Amino acid sequence: MNDEVRLEAMAQRLGTQAAERLNVERTTAAVIERLRAEPPRASRWSWMQPTWLRIAAALVVLVGGGLIARRAFVQPGNGGHAIAHFVRDDLTDLSRDQLREVLNRLDETLDLGRTQMSEVDLENLDAQQLRAVLRSLEG
Amino acid sequence: MAQPQPLTEPSPDAALIAAWQRGDEQAAAELVRRHARALARFLAGAGAPDADLDDLVQEALIRAFRAVDRFRGQCQFRTWLLTIGGNVLKDHGRRAARHTVVPLDEGLRSGDGDPHERAEAGEAEARLAVGVKELPRLQREVFLLRAQQGLEYGEIAAALDTTEGAARVHYHHAVKRLKELLQ
Repeated sequence: MNDEVRLEAMAQRLGTQAAERLNVERTTAAVIERLRAEPPRASRWSWMQPTWLRIAAALVVLVGGGLIARRAFVQPGNGGHAIAHFVRDDLTDLSRDQLREVLNRLDETLDLGRTQMSEVDLENLDAQQLRAVLRSLEG
Repeated sequence: MAQPQPLTEPSPDAALIAAWQRGDEQAAAELVRRHARALARFLAGAGAPDADLDDLVQEALIRAFRAVDRFRGQCQFRTWLLTIGGNVLKDHGRRAARHTVVPLDEGLRSGDGDPHERAEAGEAEARLAVGVKELPRLQREVFLLRAQQGLEYGEIAAALDTTEGAARVHYHHAVKRLKELLQ
């Protein structure tokens, strides 16, 4: 505790000598002179700054809101999910024989796709492969 | 029926501020006369170099008069002025750091200045001056406002836009550091 009292006593003397040397009248005159010479700009800034802050805040809200809305309404995975959903609904209506036929068609189409990938040209296909292409086009 | 008298007179500083806002230069001059020396003592205690003290006092006063519309009476005018002085000193420190290689406190340690004054101040006070200057800014300002200017924690908290509890903590840390330095 004594240390703290001593510290506070010393702190009270801090800067005293330097302050005593200050010529208060000269400082007063200099301050008044500068106040006259430099026209105040603070009043303009006092309303300019909040205005700019408001504009910046409005922009942030606008851009942020737009991004959030875009994410909410335009989800990239949505289209794929919808197609899969419709295909699944259609398949549930099919009989066992019809399903088997669909699977066969799918196999043929995939085989044909592989052929097309490797050879590209229809002229290279044999008669059976051409028939398969035609059947797949008929659906 | 007599009009009730106001319980407290408006503070003289408040009246002078209002007069200055109406363009009364004499009111501004009176405010400078009242508070310039306390401001100088605060700035010198916070480490302002003697050679720049007058300029720093002037700059703080000019800034205060320019921004006086933003003073809402949350604390005394002098306390508010001292916190502006703290900002001015911080800006001065930044400029000095850009233009000088030797830190200001090196000058204090090296024994520059009037030897008679240094002897008067005493070794402990010289060490305290260096220690105060090296404190983090908030600790330094709270310490000076409390120990040097004798202000209450509530007043300090209002001026520095913090809580009374936080001001007490800053003061406690400052005192702890300074005690260690002086032992």
